[in-house]
Amino acid sequence: MTRRAVATLLFAVTLGGGAVALPAQSGFGVTPMAQGILVVDHSGAIPGGGGLTETRLVQPVLMAVAHGFGNKLGFIATLDFEGATMKGGELTPGAWGEGYVDRRHPHTTVHELNVTANDLLGHLDGAGRLSVTIGKGFVPFGTDDPMSRPFVRYPVNHHLSQLLERAVATLQYDLGPVTVEGALFNGDEPTQPSDWPLVRYEGRWRFGDSWSARATVRPLTGLELQGSIAHVHSPESRPGAGPDADKTSVSARWDAVTPKGERYALVEYARTSELTGFFVYHTFLAEGLASRRRLRASYRFERTERPEELRLFDLFRTQRPSPDNSILGISRWSLHTLHVAYDVFLRERKLTIQPFLEGTLGSVASVGGGVFDPAALYGTDKVRAFSVGVLVGWGMRGHRMGRYGALAGGMDGMPGMSGMKM
Amino acid sequence: MRLHRLFPGIVAATLAACTSTSTTTPGGGGVTPYTVAVFNGNLQSSLAGAALVTPLTVVVTDVNGATVTGAQVSWTVASGGGSVSPTSSTTAANGRASTIFTLGSIVGTQTVSATTASAPAGVTFSATAASSGPVSAPLLIASVPTPTGATYDHDTFVRDGLAFAFMWNAGLRIYDVGNGVNGGSPANPILVGSLVTNTNGVPGGAQVHNGWWFHNQVTGQNKYLFIGQEGSCGAIGSCSVGDIHIVDVSNLAAPVEVGFIHIAGAGVHNFWMDEANQTLYAAYYNAGVVKIDVSGTLSGDMSSRITKQVQPGGPGNTYIWGVMLSNGTLYATDMLSGFWALDPATLATKGGGNNVPERYGSDQWVYGQYAYSGSWGNRGVRGNAVKIWALDGSGVPTLADSIIVPNVTTISDVAVTPDGKMLVITTEGGPGQGLYVFSLANPVKPTLAGSSITSQGLHTGEVAVINGRTYVFAARDPGVPEMDIFDITGLVP
Repeated sequence: MTRRAVATLLFAVTLGGGAVALPAQSGFGVTPMAQGILVVDHSGAIPGGGGLTETRLVQPVLMAVAHGFGNKLGFIATLDFEGATMKGGELTPGAWGEGYVDRRHPHTTVHELNVTANDLLGHLDGAGRLSVTIGKGFVPFGTDDPMSRPFVRYPVNHHLSQLLERAVATLQYDLGPVTVEGALFNGDEPTQPSDWPLVRYEGRWRFGDSWSARATVRPLTGLELQGSIAHVHSPESRPGAGPDADKTSVSARWDAVTPKGERYALVEYARTSELTGFFVYHTFLAEGLASRRRLRASYRFERTERPEELRLFDLFRTQRPSPDNSILGISRWSLHTLHVAYDVFLRERKLTIQPFLEGTLGSVASVGGGVFDPAALYGTDKVRAFSVGVLVGWGMRGHRMGRYGALAGGMDGMPGMSGMKM
Repeated sequence: MRLHRLFPGIVAATLAACTSTSTTTPGGGGVTPYTVAVFNGNLQSSLAGAALVTPLTVVVTDVNGATVTGAQVSWTVASGGGSVSPTSSTTAANGRASTIFTLGSIVGTQTVSATTASAPAGVTFSATAASSGPVSAPLLIASVPTPTGATYDHDTFVRDGLAFAFMWNAGLRIYDVGNGVNGGSPANPILVGSLVTNTNGVPGGAQVHNGWWFHNQVTGQNKYLFIGQEGSCGAIGSCSVGDIHIVDVSNLAAPVEVGFIHIAGAGVHNFWMDEANQTLYAAYYNAGVVKIDVSGTLSGDMSSRITKQVQPGGPGNTYIWGVMLSNGTLYATDMLSGFWALDPATLATKGGGNNVPERYGSDQWVYGQYAYSGSWGNRGVRGNAVKIWALDGSGVPTLADSIIVPNVTTISDVAVTPDGKMLVITTEGGPGQGLYVFSLANPVKPTLAGSSITSQGLHTGEVAVINGRTYVFAARDPGVPEMDIFDITGLVP
């Protein structure tokens, strides 16, 4: 835990706590939000064997969500300071992506920065709402970002189930219980927190080399069904010379606020195919939350496959882009995670202080051949992980990160969503 | 100001922030106190009289730290002789301006200053000029980038002053590095021809990995170049895919693919040839070691020319990286089952095998009565060892010693210079990655003579002697994929 991390946490909380959500003034409003989680992580599945315990400040974010002209314009800016507080990543069994493995990578400093023009056609399309979102942020694909779900440690499937931190233009049409979206974006993933999406590279457009489409249906109050597909060009090679990925995702999500407390459940399946099917990774995840008074209990099960790649001298890192297209094999992570938290609300429930415990049990296995042997790498094929910490947040309760336009619920009178971390 | 009036400005700033940086332009009254700083190209080394590989680049900023567009930068050779071209350049939108520095004939430190009218003190670049005699460390004399958009440079084959660079999906690129056909040299490679081979239905594209220019000692023809395609099929150790592509290089400027060799369920890796017997040996990963008759005309599907095939480690324990013929024995390194000695006629095992259980194997080289083999990745133990093998009278290896290279995870290529004085290895996957040269004064106890640590790993290093000097043609890993040419002449006297 560094002084910089503590300073960042204090800064985030101070700024969030000191800010005032501006009421609508001539159709304009700004809602500031902030969050930071001080956590002690222990993992019993680390490369080289044994266990490792670390303290980190994770998910330290400052957000501003604004709207203007009677909600005709929306604006989101999210700064993420993980590049300063967890440069080496967060110990997370099974995590992978962007050159990190068995640690979750830090996100880019400018996590979201985009503007949405809502209901472009006004009354011309009746009850329908056509919107456009442009800027840096989440691609309309898959499920909600894990940062706005009940658990602190990310699921293994983050890179199978979400696409984020891209330069993206999303066209969205919402009519009644149905929302359809289509997007163009740049395929390349960031490689470090300071990266911006590559809009062009050496005279070639990267923006627009990838696309996605998502349909969301809300047949009943609180129930949301989602299906999406995406084609991502060369995500792991920024110049654009790496293999493409074809992705699909389906999910069902339910949330409600009952007299006994909040209820939330999510079931998702996603699939990513690379090199026209030579590498295929599947994930199934189910999670739920129930709260009673101030106590919140959540459970998550996931079975997710990930690539096993050549590791560097730092065994928590892999080379990006890979020196060739080969991998050591595919591993399957089957994990049960239990998260228990206790809410303390201050400042009219805007400020949340939430101590928590989180534990994970499970196993890892090699599937589909190859030389990868989990027992040889970790000294065991059993996964044990434990986290304890405290989340401090301002105003983020109910915010579903990465959803724009008509799907940006929970803000400014739009339908509220429960089941969030706070 | 009312907040809603600010909003369009916020939006505009948001979009602008995604694509641009703050800049100013010179002019508009008086001399603005700019700052000139080194951006790139300082502290390079090369042979006296040669152009430096990397242009000298400065960045000009104003008092607010914003980059300045359109500033005139003057370049002046301050010491050591030599020349710069151009002598004056204008900063671009990113505030940078560059020049090429050709070293003078004086051995030692040479300097160039860069100034602007508003920053007369400027900044000074230093470079070291080496004599044309022996080098004291591997000296980078040229870097050839991969074509735009290419990610990989994988291997090089050098013969008769031509460098055949195998640049993955950017294909084969042939450079004159002393042949004379286009006036190139190792310090100034000049492109002669190129070809992207067929994908043959392999996912991922042409994936041009390695090659061998066949000098047929029976016919005297130098017509064919064999290219290995390293495709992906799922997982190292269990399967592979990719063909041998046969290219007619009779016209070096316009190579033409004329045939291929295919093995179902397996992909090719490195080659060696017995040119006198018109035989190609191929390391074929899970298919093992493959012997191919390449006599006569080669055209179309030549898979029927495979005459022998063996899996030295047995099914499930064979993943051959490389082969080499020496002193009547065919040696093979297996990523899974170690270092083998085979009979080149029958491919029967003569000895070795299952002798490196703690590491995955990689490349090899045999010289005289010793062989050297590398290691790869992490098999519980990092692939940071060069195994040294003593060969008995029949060529059978016995482990004699090892070199451990700190701070790397892979010894990706191994070679011995033709005079037998230097062992050259390339390394990847750690802060120690780069090029290492060892003295073979005692071949069983090599001693480090020099190294060049590189920001990206070096995947392969091809040793070649051109006009009396010894070079390593190295393939640099993604990030900065390029062919780096090092002079190692006389590093070991």
